[in-house]
Amino acid sequence: MLGFIAFSVRRAWRGFWRNGLMSLAATATMVLMLVLLSGMIILLKGLDETLSYVQQEVQVVAYVKDSATLQNIADLETNLLKMPEVSQVKYVSKEDAYNDFLARHPDEVNVLKSLTWNPFPASLQIDLSDPNGYLDVATYLNSQPPVDQVMNIKDTVNQLNTVIDVVRTGGTIILVVVGLIVLFIVVNTIRLAVVARADEIEIMRLVGASDAFIRWPFILEGAFVGLLGAAITTGLLFLSQAPISAFLSGYFRVLPIEASATIGESIALIVFGTGVGIGVLGSYLSVRSYLIRR
Amino acid sequence: MAMLSEADPADKLSQTRKPGAADRHPQAPGPGRSQDPVPTRIVLALQDVTKAYPNGRVALRGVDLVVPEGDFVFLVGPSGAGKSTMIKLLIRDELPTKGVVLLDGRNLGRLKRREVPKIRRRIGVVFQDFKLLPDLTVRGNVAFALEVIGTKRREIDPAVDRVLKVVGLTGQADQLPGQLSGGEQQRTAIARALVHNPRLFIADEPTGNLDPVISWEIIQLLIRINELGVTVLMATHNAEVVTALRKRVVALENGRIVRDEVGAAYHRED
Repeated sequence: MLGFIAFSVRRAWRGFWRNGLMSLAATATMVLMLVLLSGMIILLKGLDETLSYVQQEVQVVAYVKDSATLQNIADLETNLLKMPEVSQVKYVSKEDAYNDFLARHPDEVNVLKSLTWNPFPASLQIDLSDPNGYLDVATYLNSQPPVDQVMNIKDTVNQLNTVIDVVRTGGTIILVVVGLIVLFIVVNTIRLAVVARADEIEIMRLVGASDAFIRWPFILEGAFVGLLGAAITTGLLFLSQAPISAFLSGYFRVLPIEASATIGESIALIVFGTGVGIGVLGSYLSVRSYLIRR
Repeated sequence: MAMLSEADPADKLSQTRKPGAADRHPQAPGPGRSQDPVPTRIVLALQDVTKAYPNGRVALRGVDLVVPEGDFVFLVGPSGAGKSTMIKLLIRDELPTKGVVLLDGRNLGRLKRREVPKIRRRIGVVFQDFKLLPDLTVRGNVAFALEVIGTKRREIDPAVDRVLKVVGLTGQADQLPGQLSGGEQQRTAIARALVHNPRLFIADEPTGNLDPVISWEIIQLLIRINELGVTVLMATHNAEVVTALRKRVVALENGRIVRDEVGAAYHRED
């Protein structure tokens, strides 16, 4: 068994370099695909974090009419707390709103002082346990007479969701296409290797080599393409880690994203798994169609 | 021929030759042979074998042949007579359309896919075009045959040395095929075909590319191999060699065996 593995690895290694140009072309396209793949993973991860950040911050703010009584507001609070989507309700009175504004904008004190009335409406700030419940809560609030206006932040969430969907769908399509191209190139690389060694294969058959001895070196050769591609990709990611971090924290300024953690073990695992997987699959398909029919 | 129907693997060792085959075997001393208490094993048997290719060409028609262990058989006949097809059937490169091919008692038509390599290890084959790997040395080419069937490293070197000695290439062991003469290349191929101790040695026009003197050397080598106990089947056009050696001659014409004589010449003599 050990001899078989040593034999297969030795032959695969020799085959890879004998078939050098084609192997390197296959490796290069493999790197392209894996870079695209990890780029997409990083981008999606960033967007996902942005979304969850925004969703965490999703608060429904309902402005209350000045005419509403405290009893109206208390009833509203009670009803809101009964809704499963709602985790917390906070009442901000007109005075609180006025003081909040003053605290945040001390320069405007004279403007406010010049007014004879308090222009700030009272509001209910509602935290959601499930951000998707936004619409239900907003609809309910809009139907309540004491409510003047519900602040609309669902557009932000929707836009972000749309971006994520587009990136995910578009990225998946691109990845599948590039993946198929890589598969095709690996199949052809190995096919060339098989044809180049048709004499060897014929001799192996004649002297009674089992199918495993004939097939595995080629499958390992495909695995080498994947392994080398994955190693190069991981190296590239490692080198570009600092710029990517800078880009991410610049782009998603407020967000708690750790780029180094993002391009961490999980991406390396995915990159190696995908690379070796496609390499093995491609060479298996190639060898199968050529060898198995005999 | 009834006894040649496919054997149970368990009794393949007990297969005996049919009496007729014993009578014409060159080493069999006629009547005395029948009292021989040790039955001779049959290495190869074809029973009513017909081979038709998908394009409709019928290469073999109802061929019966029995080759006992230790035999030396010349397979002769014009091009297209069916010699190559017969060899393809023997190495199970093709399957018969009808009939049975038994090698060492195993029906080649009924082998499972994974059993085919094991059966091929009981056969050694050489061809007119040697089929050597140009980037491996003589030693490498011979060792290759053992490497690819999973022989342990430490068993490979002694086996290769032994067989290189048999074919007389010990001195050229580290040369590449391109540095060898045609005869030396064929001897390398013979060494490769012998290194795994086959029961049956098949040579398909082994001297086709060689000049007469070298051809004789190769034939002498095959006779030597036969004397070591390996059954030899050689397809050839070389009338001079066949006629001079007076071995068993099986002649094919249009896919049929038209002659099967011991001690015969290349052409019919009566």
